[in-house]
Amino acid sequence: MRTAKLSNHSIKTKYYRIITLLFLLLVVTVTILFFYINSQQSRLKAEREVLQTKANTIDELAGALNEVFFRARGYIALKSSNELTLLNTALENLDGILDQYATLNLSPEEAEYRDALSDYYTNYKNQTLPKVIKLVEIDDYEGIRALSQSGSTQSLNDFLAYTKAFKSNSDEQLSYMADRSIRKADLYTFVAFGISAFLLLFLTLMIWRMLKVLIDPIVRLEEATHSLAAGEAVLLGRLHKQDEIGRLYEAFLNMAHSIQDKEEELTMQNEELQAQQDELQDQQFKLERSLIEIESIMKALNQTSAVGILSDKGLFTYANDNLGKYTGYSHSEMIGYPFRLLELLNITDSQLEQIFYKLSTGGIWSGEVETLVKDGSASVWLHMTVMPYLNDEGMVYQYILIANNITSLKSAQQQLAVTLQNTEQTTVMLERYNQLNHELTYTLDKQEFAGKFSRFMNQIYAFDSSLFFLVKDKIAVVKGVPQDKVERYLDHHHLDMLHRLQEEKSYIVKRTGSPREQGISPDEVDCYDYYTSVVGGNDEILAVFCGSRIGHPFTEEEISEIQGLVSRVALAIERIMMYEEIEHGRKLNQDIVNNVNEGIQFVNTEGVMQHINKALSTLFHYEWTEGSLVPADDWLDAFTGKSNESAELRSFYENAMAESAMESSTMKYSLGKEEIQHVDVYAIPVLRREDRIGTLFVHRDITREYELDVMKSELVSTVSHELRTPLSSVLGFTELLLSKTMKPEKQLKYLETIHKEAKRLTELINDFLDLQRMESGTQQYNVEPAHLSEIVLGVIDQYKLSSTHHILFEDEAVHDEVAVDKDKIVQVLTNLLSNAIKFSPGSHEVKVMLHNEPGRILVRIQDQGLGIPKNQIGQLFQKFRRVDNSASKRIGGTGLGLAICKEIIEKHKGSIGIDSVEGVGSTVWFSLPVQLAEDSRPVEEMSKWGADKELKPSVMIVEDDYSLSLLLSEELKGKGFRVTHHYHPQKAFDQALKTPFVAIVVDLMLGVELDGWDLIRMLKNDPRTEKVPIVISSALDQTDKSLLENVKTYLTKPYPPGELSNTLQEIVEIKLKSGEVLFPDNDL
Amino acid sequence: MQKVLIVDDEEVLRMLIEDTLEDLENVEIHTAENGAEALTKLSQQVYDLVILDYMMPEMTGIEVLEALDIEQKNAMPILMLTAKAQENDRSKAREAGARFFMPKPFSPMELLQIVEGILHENSEAL
Repeated sequence: MRTAKLSNHSIKTKYYRIITLLFLLLVVTVTILFFYINSQQSRLKAEREVLQTKANTIDELAGALNEVFFRARGYIALKSSNELTLLNTALENLDGILDQYATLNLSPEEAEYRDALSDYYTNYKNQTLPKVIKLVEIDDYEGIRALSQSGSTQSLNDFLAYTKAFKSNSDEQLSYMADRSIRKADLYTFVAFGISAFLLLFLTLMIWRMLKVLIDPIVRLEEATHSLAAGEAVLLGRLHKQDEIGRLYEAFLNMAHSIQDKEEELTMQNEELQAQQDELQDQQFKLERSLIEIESIMKALNQTSAVGILSDKGLFTYANDNLGKYTGYSHSEMIGYPFRLLELLNITDSQLEQIFYKLSTGGIWSGEVETLVKDGSASVWLHMTVMPYLNDEGMVYQYILIANNITSLKSAQQQLAVTLQNTEQTTVMLERYNQLNHELTYTLDKQEFAGKFSRFMNQIYAFDSSLFFLVKDKIAVVKGVPQDKVERYLDHHHLDMLHRLQEEKSYIVKRTGSPREQGISPDEVDCYDYYTSVVGGNDEILAVFCGSRIGHPFTEEEISEIQGLVSRVALAIERIMMYEEIEHGRKLNQDIVNNVNEGIQFVNTEGVMQHINKALSTLFHYEWTEGSLVPADDWLDAFTGKSNESAELRSFYENAMAESAMESSTMKYSLGKEEIQHVDVYAIPVLRREDRIGTLFVHRDITREYELDVMKSELVSTVSHELRTPLSSVLGFTELLLSKTMKPEKQLKYLETIHKEAKRLTELINDFLDLQRMESGTQQYNVEPAHLSEIVLGVIDQYKLSSTHHILFEDEAVHDEVAVDKDKIVQVLTNLLSNAIKFSPGSHEVKVMLHNEPGRILVRIQDQGLGIPKNQIGQLFQKFRRVDNSASKRIGGTGLGLAICKEIIEKHKGSIGIDSVEGVGSTVWFSLPVQLAEDSRPVEEMSKWGADKELKPSVMIVEDDYSLSLLLSEELKGKGFRVTHHYHPQKAFDQALKTPFVAIVVDLMLGVELDGWDLIRMLKNDPRTEKVPIVISSALDQTDKSLLENVKTYLTKPYPPGELSNTLQEIVEIKLKSGEVLFPDNDL
Repeated sequence: MQKVLIVDDEEVLRMLIEDTLEDLENVEIHTAENGAEALTKLSQQVYDLVILDYMMPEMTGIEVLEALDIEQKNAMPILMLTAKAQENDRSKAREAGARFFMPKPFSPMELLQIVEGILHENSEAL
């Protein structure tokens, strides 16, 4: 397959192909040329023949015509018949030629000429000639001449001329044709030359190409061969040809590669050899150096050490000077002598045997050897190394011995060992000190400290009993001493001891042991008591240590050790005391800081919060544990987040903490949403010496001041309104009076109004003044004994005519003797009552209740009004304070009333308060101390029905005369009744429906609309109240008999009050005895 | 007949204003003692002038104005009597629709003049 393919591409095949192609091309071209020339020549020949024929024919024609004319003229001239016969023959000849001419291939010109000739001839032959013949026959030569004159002869001449012209023309043509054939022959010759030239060119091209294809690679191959020979890299690209050259290339490349590979291998081997050689040289060099080194080592060794060489038998064969110097033997005394010459003190014979055994097996021995010098006067310590030399069979043939004198080293070592022992002892001591130090350093409590120290001493010095005693704090720690003895020491005995210790720092008492100390020992034992004091910086005895040992005296070391320990303890005690002092100071500071109302916050320069006090922690509800450090971001977020002015507070903090802020700064912010707290904070940089160590923030809760400010400004506007209204009236009416004329009645009315308003104005101003006076403490109180019930009734009496509210008075107070400024109490009551009325616009009733509590009397004023929000109750008694809601705001008032009341009541040693439910109503109460007269009966005795309020029989008095009401109520209360006052029949009836009364006392003369009788009628007509006994108290006589049957008793005024109480008591007693139900059933 | 409504919680002041205006001819005077009553009356008929107190319990003068329709307010002049002469109260009242102000304490003669002026202007406009 490959060979076949190769043969297709081989150069030989290509050569054959090209030659064949060229030959074929030549044959085809020559053949075509030959045939083409041949045909051209034959065509020319035929044309030439035609032309020749035409020329001949025309020649013949011309001859024939000449013949005809010649015979015709001859006949005419001769009139011979022979001539005529000859003429006819000429004519026939001409006919034949004409016919022949007509058959020729004629050009159109020739054809026209032929036709003209033919016509002429026909005309001549058929007409002219017969006419002429006739004319001849008749001899009319005149006619003949005329005829010839008419033109026939002319045309004949023309024809002849034409013939001549034609003849010459055809001759010309012939000669032209000959020229053309010659030119054509020239052309052919040229073409043949061109073809041959082309072929030659083609052949040259082919050969050139062939050469190029063949020669170039060969040349390159040659170059490659040269470079290969020169050992350079063969830069011969692969020839992508499959012919012989290609294969040659491939073969050459393969050869080149294999040559190169071989060459590389050789180079490598060569290099290896080179390296080996280098190494050998190096080793040689090293060996030489080693030799020198060994020599110098030997020299050095000889300088510093003793060197000896022994034979395999152990005889010295060499010994250097040093060896002699160390041992005292001379050179000659050693060489040839055995090793045993040296007497080894620290090595036994058996050890020596072992050593030699080891050496004989090739081992090296090294060790310290003590040997006697020659004269035996001293010993020398040598550090000796013995090394055997083995021959090829592994047998020892000599030993080398190297020894160093270490005698001085040895003695130094021994000294060191002694020192070390001493050091160890010191270390133990120090460790003890350290242990004590350690224990004491971490103790800041004196008791614990004393315990630790005592334990330590007992442990280390084995005291059988001991006492450690801190003088100032009277703290004692004991071991093996009974408690009573300790007390004795602490109490007085120690004074002697202290006195002695003042003089000498420590002392030891040796004594005979007590029986207890003697224990089971049959003999007496000695006891040693060691006393020492711990002395502080200013020679003050801080503590005393006494230790007792039975039968063990104290060594000097122990005493000095203990002294050392004690001086350390002094430092420790002083440290503890200092710590306590500092701690105390710190605690004090902390307590101060924590108990300050202001919130205090300290932030270091990095913004880390290091301390806040309790007040601040409470203010921000921020949990902080003592000592914890809070990064700036954390506390800033927590603090500013709680403020309503978050961003401003943050920037205040940041500005204050900025390094540049060296001045103090302040700002105000608020906290909380519902109960807003107003805080004023100021920041001051804190400096230690010159350096800033942080910033201190002091937060002061200014809510009160803030609210006070707000209240004050509110008050100003309220007051301005309150003052302007009466002023408007006063000014207005005055102006009307001045500017208008009017009736006297009207004038009077105006004046009254002006007067009233002016009074109102005065009251208002008085309120302010009162309060101002009270606050400044200049208010005068005219205290005198009085009955509170009387005062209350008096005030209520003034409200009787109020159209809006009915005032109910429930009086249970048995003791109402008080020492008061009556006017002031009236002022309080008026104020509270008008408040109750003002603030209960929706209801129509205000209830006043009076009762005793131990030692005091309580007044409660209850309304069913707006009530007061819980959180505001506490603030109500503050100045300028009114209930802050829209409903109450509209009611107006100075807001001073309750503050005034509070001032007054408190000045009377009483208290005042409010219980209120918002939307349900309020009860304002105040209490005053009761002035018990010497002869007055205790409350318990007076109450026949017990002290229980609920069990007290309740009586209602319906009476509009307040002095009479008062009289009756005093009497009834004295008898233990609970009294309810009413002045309005309808209200009284309503009340009777609600409250169970034992009896109702009715005055007949009551209001205008209803009177006592109406009330009685209502009571009796209602099933719920019909059973209630009624007592009439009237100035009138018994008039209405019809109703009297329903009335229990009819008392006609004036009657002694005792009569009423007796009557009522009777009623109650009867009811109790008979078991009658006293009270209307509530369920009914 | 022109109608004037006086709204004030203080009886004496109502009386004072009423008496001040009583001499005006062809003027009928009505009174109301609180905001609610005033609103009822205002809903029943058109007044030529309302004299309104600023500080009243239950309902302030401003609240009365706020309860009124714009048309109602535009239709009748409102004179507000105020004890608070402060400017911010005035602007509040003006926003609510009061066109005239009279600070307390006021001069009845001055009030009379102003009322006459307003009523005169009203009748001119008619």
